[in-house]
Amino acid sequence: MSTDVAGQLAKVSAPREVVRAARLSSDPSKHIFLLPAVILILLFSLFPLFFSLALAFLSWDLSRLTGGVRFIGFENFITLVNDARFWNTARVTLIFVVGAVSLQYLVGLGVALLLNQDIRFRRFFRVVFLMPMMLTPAAVAYGGRMLFNEGQGPINHIIKLLGGPQIPWFSNPSLALPSLILVDTWEWTPFMMIVLLAGLQSLPPEVYEAARVDGANDWQIFRHITFPMLAPVSVTVILIRALEAFKLFDIVTVMTGGGPGTATEPVTLYAYLVGMKNGNLGYASAIAYSLLIMVIISSTLFLKLVRQRAVRAVE
Amino acid sequence: MYMTMRQTRRIKLGITYFFLAIWTVICLFPIYWLVITSVKLPVAVFQGPTYFPWIDFQPTLNAWKYVLAGPMQNQVIRSWLNSAIMAPTSAALAVAIGSLAGYALTRFNYYVPVLKWRNNDIAFWIISQRMLPPVVVILPYLIMYRVLGLVDTHAGMILIYTVFNLPFAVWIMRDFFANLPRDLEESALIDGASRLQAFRLIVLPLSSPGLIATFLFCMMFSWNDYLFALMLTFSRATTMPMFVAGVGSQSYGPQWWLLSALSLLTIAPMIVIALLIERYITRGLIVGAIK
Repeated sequence: MSTDVAGQLAKVSAPREVVRAARLSSDPSKHIFLLPAVILILLFSLFPLFFSLALAFLSWDLSRLTGGVRFIGFENFITLVNDARFWNTARVTLIFVVGAVSLQYLVGLGVALLLNQDIRFRRFFRVVFLMPMMLTPAAVAYGGRMLFNEGQGPINHIIKLLGGPQIPWFSNPSLALPSLILVDTWEWTPFMMIVLLAGLQSLPPEVYEAARVDGANDWQIFRHITFPMLAPVSVTVILIRALEAFKLFDIVTVMTGGGPGTATEPVTLYAYLVGMKNGNLGYASAIAYSLLIMVIISSTLFLKLVRQRAVRAVE
Repeated sequence: MYMTMRQTRRIKLGITYFFLAIWTVICLFPIYWLVITSVKLPVAVFQGPTYFPWIDFQPTLNAWKYVLAGPMQNQVIRSWLNSAIMAPTSAALAVAIGSLAGYALTRFNYYVPVLKWRNNDIAFWIISQRMLPPVVVILPYLIMYRVLGLVDTHAGMILIYTVFNLPFAVWIMRDFFANLPRDLEESALIDGASRLQAFRLIVLPLSSPGLIATFLFCMMFSWNDYLFALMLTFSRATTMPMFVAGVGSQSYGPQWWLLSALSLLTIAPMIVIALLIERYITRGLIVGAIK
């Protein structure tokens, strides 16, 4: 009887294994599942990426009546290197990415630590704290313009009521970029917060209990346990946010249009203006490609730096 | 003087609630400001900040009438409906195509000969598409769309939003399917069902939380887009964010009462999505995939 059952089981389970192994690699339907996505992505990212690279080596200026499309080698890139306005946009983009992402990380970590406690109304706080990142950046930018408006906005008004000075948020070229960073921080801190909160909640409670027994205070626990254990999550979330921050376009276009002057003009906006407003497709592609190179170099450097730190910490 | 444990705990909790309250105000105040500015008269906005309706200013529906039943009515309704059609359609397509690919990457073995890529490499290649700043590929899109006659069409915008959301949908759904038990679908396969049947009749119904969350996220990304709409539409397929951005940049200066009403119309659906989506993020679904 018992062998009978075992035999039955063997009969049932053997085909299952066989079926699984066979289906995993040879089922012809597997391509039907994956190909639609792969073809669409190839069509819309790889092809345009090469096309755009080719454009960067062409002289293709819609604003000029003569000349047409010509291959000009590295000429666009040589123009780029000598273009002061381009270097300014590169500087603006880098300051924005570093400033916004650091601020968002610090505030996001702070809020995540607050939420990672035994508090009431947790659901309410989470819904409210998540809200900003869901809202349309173009509309958020208008909200920012209203709030920071120097004559009619409530922020300067409240500062005045408290006896502070009137701050020229967006008319002063050296304050415009920090103001932009503040608005972006409002919108994107929730992303940092939610991922860091999940990271905090996945840390093993035993370590904390042990530290408490050893008499460690809150700061020591944060400095020597929470923060180091959270490091992998921190690195990931900072990298994701930085990659997104390089794409900055909506908020700056609506809030300042790159002004005053070119004080807040990022690479993306410059490429857009050259390509769409001036019709210089070749040069616009060179500018846009340089952004891609900036993104790749920055993220590689960041990861290398983090890895060195990690190695040093271990030693 | 020693404080008891209970006293220290109380003080700590007090500080926690204090900062939580401050952050709540920071998160909500801008939305509140849009709401109250949208019920002010142009003159009232110009006279400087006022904070409480019926207390320091008299609310009016002037801006809302102007937007919904006045000179702007047609453009507002068209842009809003365009967004309301294109965002969910592209999100549904992205979820459909993305979940097929996400499922495939967890259930079959793939091998790309020349590159020597296996499933994980393919998945990483797909998600790495999101690294690419859209501005790099936007000019080729424009030229491509000109040639194909897709500029300023609903189909063109739905297509671009679908592709734009696809990496995210594949990544999230792959993570979701990887954690889904396989017994049921394997029994169905043994009983003679095809992979597609097993997927459609067994896997998909079990995955509704993942599908809904991914759909909501994709819809949010599509709805919030500004760059693609700016580049590829000009009248028939204009979206709400693009319309709002255009109104503010017109030469007669910012009309805050008007822009507040339009901004609120733009973000209203996203506020609803934020309320719906929180529970899925709480389950660790989305966050798990990010890590």
